[in-house]
Formats: sequence, structure tokens, C-alpha cells
Amino acid sequence: MASLSRIKRQIVRQAVDENLDTINGVLPGIRNDRSRSEITLLSVFFYVALPAAVFALSYILSPMAVGEATDSRLAATRAPVRRAEPVVAEAGVPAESTTTYASPRPLDPAVMPLTLRRVVLDPGHGGSNLGTVAPGGLPEKVITLDIADRLRQLLEDHGYDVVMTRETDESKSLKKRGDMANEAEGDIFLSIHVNWIELQEIRGIETFYLGPTDDPYVTELAATENQGSGYSLADFRGILERVYADVRQKESRELATAVQSALFDSLTKVNPTVRNRGVKSAPFGVLVRTEMPAILAEVSCLSNALEARLLAMPSYRQLLAEALFSGIDSYARELNQAYQIGG
Amino acid sequence: MTEDGGKSGKPRVLTVGVDLGTSRSAVSASNGERHVIDSYVGWPVDMVARKVLKKKVLIGDDAVENRVMLDLRRPLEKGLIREGSERDAEAVQELLSHLLSLVKTDEDGDNQKVRAVVGVPAEALRVNKQQLRNAMEGLVDSLMIVSEPFAVAYGLEALLHALVVDIGAGTSDFCVMNGRYPTDDDQRTLTMAGDYIDEQLFDLVTSKHSEATFSRHMIREWKEQHSYVGEAKDPIVVSAPVQGKPTDFDITEEMKVACESLLPSVTETMIDLVARVEPEYQAKVRSNVILSGGSCLIRGMGQVLQEALKDVGGGQVRVVKDPVFVGSDGGLALAKDAPASDWEKLSS
Ligand SMILES: Nc1ncnc2c1ncn2[C@@H]1O[C@H](COP(=O)(O)OP(=O)(O)OP(=O)(O)O)[C@@H](O)[C@H]1O
Ligand SMILES: [Mg+2]
Ligand SMILES: [Zn+2]
Repeated sequence: MASLSRIKRQIVRQAVDENLDTINGVLPGIRNDRSRSEITLLSVFFYVALPAAVFALSYILSPMAVGEATDSRLAATRAPVRRAEPVVAEAGVPAESTTTYASPRPLDPAVMPLTLRRVVLDPGHGGSNLGTVAPGGLPEKVITLDIADRLRQLLEDHGYDVVMTRETDESKSLKKRGDMANEAEGDIFLSIHVNWIELQEIRGIETFYLGPTDDPYVTELAATENQGSGYSLADFRGILERVYADVRQKESRELATAVQSALFDSLTKVNPTVRNRGVKSAPFGVLVRTEMPAILAEVSCLSNALEARLLAMPSYRQLLAEALFSGIDSYARELNQAYQIGG
Repeated sequence: MTEDGGKSGKPRVLTVGVDLGTSRSAVSASNGERHVIDSYVGWPVDMVARKVLKKKVLIGDDAVENRVMLDLRRPLEKGLIREGSERDAEAVQELLSHLLSLVKTDEDGDNQKVRAVVGVPAEALRVNKQQLRNAMEGLVDSLMIVSEPFAVAYGLEALLHALVVDIGAGTSDFCVMNGRYPTDDDQRTLTMAGDYIDEQLFDLVTSKHSEATFSRHMIREWKEQHSYVGEAKDPIVVSAPVQGKPTDFDITEEMKVACESLLPSVTETMIDLVARVEPEYQAKVRSNVILSGGSCLIRGMGQVLQEALKDVGGGQVRVVKDPVFVGSDGGLALAKDAPASDWEKLSS
């Protein structure tokens, strides 16, 4: 009994403290929650769009030689390693130049049929919607746009067509972003976000595609997001069944897997505490909107002190962009290969 | 009969626990008053309605009865204040002030300090913490907001190695108690609960019997009378009009399917939360699962969840006796246990 009253006293004190934090404007819960939801939503978006693009790309790339695809994959996996080392070694000294980094061998744009190479990039947040904010004040919206710009450059250099849902610091609804992707007839859609997770429990990167989930945590987030989207859970199930009666879910998952592993390979070299949270599906209403495979990638975690410092460095953002690029590109080539072998 | 009652001149303190639910809200006070209302708030739609109703705002049954003349709201419908909705925040205010008016006694009048613990759906606390506080702060002298399943756990003194599963109307809230105030990680919310069953049942019944007319209200009443999971006891036969003529329908199977539609997500969430507990305590938590909320009255629910625990080593699920007031009573217990010095800090 003595222990029960001790537990009670402690719990009461914690409940009071938590309320005092709210009164005093310390809002870890709110910030944390909002960013989690947003990130998850975005992640889903990315995963769905991206797989679609990859899928599309694989068909586009079908005339390419298998040997070339292999080279490219090797280059892609090697590139992050080389880059990561200087970043770690210099710990806080940004290596501005990116020219020393190996990147996947450029494709000859001529071998890519025009219809199969459009990637829609969706830099998360913008305008009044800051996303999460690093302890130093750097907002997510700036980071996502910067990474998207870098990724766009890489993709265009390799013969891909890129459409951005925003190119400036403007706010845009998720619905609008989906509509833009559809209007642009993108082959895949990738939404870029940065996570915020409570410091105590380090979590890493994760990539989402549209689909059902077995994870109650994700279900919870999805349910929250779907409320905002105007779908009931019942509506949503129906939509989901229709949307994924086709092949896109598989493609989305494979794309997500490629992007996730490229991201993780890169980041883990720089920040060994990053966890690979893997590829997940989540039933996000917003992803239903894009007509192409779409995925959402949480490329980093602003709540992790080391990650936050690294994200302030241009070289690190370039590393992330290249990891995303190699994920997309290797997936496209893999599909191409499978297509050639399997007929 | 308030705590500081009798001391002349000094304001009396009324301590209250409030459960702001998505469908029902309850209040328990230190003066022994307990009330429950439907979580509906309605504003007359125009001048005419205002004149007829002679009120600026209607609450609970009153609001439901006059719904045609009202902008009717359930402020926490899916466990959340709708984003950017001033009206939802206002409705929360109206609900709380109405609940307080039900327990305040005239004799204490203005010379009464109110200290309130308000339990809200876990998801609302996670997402709308500041909004909720802003909306409710001015109505009481001191305010503490907690998650609803936590209030339930506190009231039942299930503070260590316990799991509360609160299946209400709009949300199913889960909360593991580890001997500390639960963090976000100790809690889960599914926006799938009694309302979801109602939707399922409505869809199943209307699509099978398109010739008849069913109202959402009838469906919910049938559910509350006959709901079950697992084995059916007796056939469920209900009556609904077909072209104006009362006709009997057997909805035994539809009832089962609708009620069981919650089970996969609920069991999965329950098992997942247990799995996150430190391994040496998991068995204790499994043997201390507490099922609360109006939807815990679905016949067989406790057994089926207990059955599901067998797959992960077995456990025990207990169903609370008084789901209506268990949350507000828990809030009241917490409010009484918080020292006066803390209440001072929490005053607005
Ligand atoms: N006997 C019953 N059988 C089945 N369901 C019931 C029964 N009685 C009430 N319910 C359902 O319980 C729900 C209301 O439960 P409760 O009062 O716990 O909800 P709430 O607290 O308002 O909601 P929430 O916990 O989601 O905020 C309604 O969906 C109602 O239909
Ligand atoms: Mg409740
Ligand atoms: Zn984000």
C-alpha cells in the first residue's frame, strides 16, 4: 500500500508537471505529434508516388543493357560511402564541394523514351507551415526544399524529367499537391520529409507507401490524417481496395525498399545511431489522390542532435539527395532488368 | 460538504472530475453530484430558431431533440477538435460549462473555487492540448487536463502493470500503466469504436434489405440492446417499416459481423502495446487488462479479447462495472489527490 501511495504521488506530480508545461508554452507533445503525423503522411505519399515512377521507368528503360544497369547500381551503392567519410571526419565542417562524390553513371537521355521518365518531387511543408523546427531554428520546410532542389538536379542530369509541387517557400495543401502530380502525369511521386521524434527514443528513417498496415502506431497516425482528409475509415477501406487491386502496391513497396536501403546505407555511415525503421505501408487518404505510385520518405530526424547539426550542412543535404537519387535510379534499373529477363 | 466547507469567509472548494467523451460526457463532483449528458452542442441556426428556442445554445438531449433548428455538433467527434474550427472549441466550452452548472450548488454560489480534472480522448490531448486548455481555462479556477484512459486507470488504481482498453463511441483508447504518468508511447488511439460499428451495421442491414427504411438512430438502439461477439445466444429480430408497414428482420449475422469488425485492430493494438512493455512485466500487464467505455458492454467482448491473449501467453481481461462514470470518478480521485499547492500553480 505504501508503494501504491508513492506511485500515486509520483503520477500526480507528473500529471501536474505536464499541464504546467502546456501552460508555460512548452509544447513537446504538440510539436512532436504534429510532425509525426505530417511525416507519416508525407512518407506515404512518397512511397506511393515513387514506386509508380520506378515502375514506369522500368518500362522506359527496357532497351538499356543489363551491364549498364549493374554498373549503375554499384556506383549508387558506393557513392554514399565515399561521401559519408568526409562528413563524419570533419564533424561540423561542411564540405561544400560535391564534385568529389561519386554518383551513378549518367544515363544517356536518348535511351529513355520520353513518356517514362517523369518524377514528381514534393518538398514537405512550406510557407506558414514550417514543419518541424530544429533546436537551432532551422525549419523542416527549408530542408525539404533544399534536398528536393538537389535531387531535381541529379535526376535531370541523368535524363529524368522532374516536376516539383513547390519551388518556392509557399504553403500548399496536400490535396493540391496530389492534383498537381496527376495533372503533370508524373510516373512516380516522392514526398520528402524530415522526422521529429522524442529525443529519448532514437528513431531513424522510414519510408511509406500506400496500403494497409499491421502497425497500430501507423494506423493511429493514418486515422488522424484521414479524418482531416474527409474520408471515414469505412470510405477509406473501400478506396484502398480499389486503388490497390492493381500492381502498384507491389511496385510502390519495391521502390520504397530501394529508397529506404539507399538512405540507410548513406546515413548510417555518418550517424551510427540512426535506426533503420524499414519500409511500411500505411492507409493514408492523401496518397489515394495520386494516380501514380507514390512514396513518402522520412529522410532524417531533426530531433536527433547529431542529425540536426548535420542537416545544417549543405554536404549532408547533398548526401541525402544522392541517396534518394540512387534509390530511385537503382530501382528503375532493377525493374528494367526484371522486365528484360522475365519478358 | 466541500473540502474547506465551514471556514467562514474562505472560498469553498469544489473538486470535479470530468470525462469529455466523443458521444457522452460525465461529471463527478466532491459534493457527491454525478451527471452524464450526450456530448451534443447546438446553436440556433437563425433568428427564428433563437426566438422559438429562447436559448443561445442547447446542450445534450435538449440539443438532439431540437436538432432541425440547430447547428448541431459533437465537438470531439473523432476524438479531435476539427482543425481550425472555432465552433468545435466553443462547443467544448459550452459542454464543460454545462457540466459544471449541473454539479454546482446554489448555496455555494460565487464563493466557490472550482478545481477540475478533465479527461479527454488521448488523441485530442496529443494533438489539441493547447487548444483545449485555452477553451476550458476560463471556466474553472484551476484546471488539469489528462487523457481519458489514464483517468480510468487512476480511478481504478491500476497504476502499475496494467492496460486500459477504453472502447467508446468515436475512439478506442489504449493506455499502458507502468507506474508513471503515461507518455505518448504508452498510449494508442484508434478512430474505430461504437460509431464505426453503427456504420458497419447500417451498411450491412441497408444493403441486405433495401426495401426497408432504417435510421441511424434505430441501428444504434438495436446495437445497444443486442450487440455481441462470438457465439450468438438468441436470434436477433428487429422491426422496421417497409412502405410504412412494420416488418420483422433477422439481423443476427449482421450484428456479429459489425461488432466483430473492431476485433482485429483492437486485439492487434492491445498485443502490440503489451509487447512494448519490459519483458519481465508483460505477463503482469496481460493479466491486468481493463476493458472500459460504452462499447465494452458488447456481450462477449471481454472473453474474446482474453482469448486473443492466449496466443501471446494468456491473460485476464476485466470489464469495468460502471463505464459511464469510471472516467469522471477517476478524474475526481486525481483532483482530490493533487495537493493544494499544485492546484495553485494550475490556476488561470
Ligand atoms: N450495451 C451496449 N452495447 C454496445 N454498445 C454500447 C452499449 N451501450 C453503449 N454502447 C456504445 O458505447 C458508445 C459510447 O460509449 P462511451 O460513453 O464510452 O463513449 P464516449 O466516451 O463518449 O466516446 P469516446 O470514448 O470515444 O470519447 C456508443 O457507441 C454506444 O452506442
Ligand atoms: Mg470515453
Ligand atoms: Zn514533415
